[in-house]
Amino acid sequence: MVGLGFRREFAEEMISGELITPDFIEFAPENWMNIGGYWKKMLHRVLEKYPVLCHGLSLSLGSPEEVDKTFLRYVKSFLEEYKVRIYSEHLSYSKCDNAHLYDLLPMPFRMDAALHMAARIQQVQDYLQRPLAMEIISYYTPVAPEMSEADFINEVVQRSGCQLLLDVNNIYVNAFNHQYDAKAFMAQLPLDKVAYIHMAGHEQVSPDMILDTHGHPIADPVYELFEWTIRQIRPVPVLLERDFNIPQMQDLQEELTRLKSICHQQWKHHELVA
Amino acid sequence: MSSLPDSRQLQQRFTKHIRTGVRTIIPGVAQDRLAHYRHAIFHMVKDTMESAYPVTCANIPARKWDRMVRDFFAHHACTSNQVWKLPLEFYTYAVENNWDEVYDIPYLSDLLAFEWAEIEVFNMEDIAPAAFTSTGNWLETPLVLNPEYRLLSFKYPVHREAKRARLLKEQGAWFVLLHREPVNGHVQFTGLSPWLAFVTEQLAAGITVKDILEYAPQLGITVTAELEKDTIAFLVDMQRQQFVLGFQP
Ligand SMILES: [Fe+2]
Repeated sequence: MVGLGFRREFAEEMISGELITPDFIEFAPENWMNIGGYWKKMLHRVLEKYPVLCHGLSLSLGSPEEVDKTFLRYVKSFLEEYKVRIYSEHLSYSKCDNAHLYDLLPMPFRMDAALHMAARIQQVQDYLQRPLAMEIISYYTPVAPEMSEADFINEVVQRSGCQLLLDVNNIYVNAFNHQYDAKAFMAQLPLDKVAYIHMAGHEQVSPDMILDTHGHPIADPVYELFEWTIRQIRPVPVLLERDFNIPQMQDLQEELTRLKSICHQQWKHHELVA
Repeated sequence: MSSLPDSRQLQQRFTKHIRTGVRTIIPGVAQDRLAHYRHAIFHMVKDTMESAYPVTCANIPARKWDRMVRDFFAHHACTSNQVWKLPLEFYTYAVENNWDEVYDIPYLSDLLAFEWAEIEVFNMEDIAPAAFTSTGNWLETPLVLNPEYRLLSFKYPVHREAKRARLLKEQGAWFVLLHREPVNGHVQFTGLSPWLAFVTEQLAAGITVKDILEYAPQLGITVTAELEKDTIAFLVDMQRQQFVLGFQP
């Protein structure tokens, strides 16, 4: 299954399905809940055509403060209403001192933060009665780390029982920005917990910095890392994220096709088993 | 044991810097990367305001506008999970902090209210209208209105004009009705006289046109055949625009 992040810019094209036909779509519940009118009608039309996975933006499970229970209640009824199979969030925080910052901020890789985050993930999983798939974010600076990123992730996953959303482009970007080996990093992760994969494009903005822009086609070395990665794991849904600089639908469809053929090749054996 | 503050404090310092620019040193954090976060997040917020308030932003000098958005983001704790609702917090912040006077733009809160209402009415959750029929008596049958609307009152005619000098000359009592067309979801706005704004308010409360006209003298309005005719003509027009949906059965 290879899906595409649903955006208003190409809603019509996805509904018509002439130039682009993903296997499923993904969107942030924040962008679609509590709305009516034109976009609610469009949402219903696209949901008639495609299965949907949801990718949350603002639950902020790494926040120092309490989980926003009112918001969580909305999320729960939204996921139920639209029969959403996977709800993913981020190993990060986007809110502090009760102020949203609308971006995914890097966690301090520290034991107290890992314990706190794991407890909050558990709390949400208990409430929603489903595991969360937690995405390893791209980040541009470490924050007073006292453990490695991989140890931090392992600690959170083990203690919370959550699943992982592996964004292969994020790992590639992080490996470049923080000068580590992407495959060696990946090898330290609990890859049996990967439930979902993201793929996206990036942009190098200086000799030592790549930005995770979602505004370009997937780069070749990221395809290569993807191919290597999926060999290590069981088949899971794969999503193409494109948020800016939207190209022709044919170009997006080509990326979907390329991802699909890599999946077929690497997961052939699994498909025979299944 | 580590001598560093706990993660909560580190996160508070990190986000405080992003919001306010107050200098902070956090072990392991490169200053240029911290600056990247501050810059990227501020621009996201500013872009959000500029697409929500294109007219306001175009009519305020760039540096003043920048100062407003910075002031808002640094001092207001944004509570909305949904980015599209963030402009409402900006508008509310402007009103609470008396920006009309502080920034010497007397029509600022009117303009923000108008631009926000368009977003709000476009996105608001669907509201099912009451049952209605297409025939009835304009004077005596209570009307069924499209419930997806806002009726706003302004001191300045910001729905007609954006130029400062002209706006300031036209201070008064202005009314604007915004409603969402049921089928295509488009938002229409209609400037109303004080009388028609009053009529609209009363109709929404289920009062008949006849009763509204009977009450008019208490507002100091003389009811003439002309007023009655114009009021009904307005309602017929609003039916064509799908604000008046029909008559109570
Ligand atoms: Fe992602």
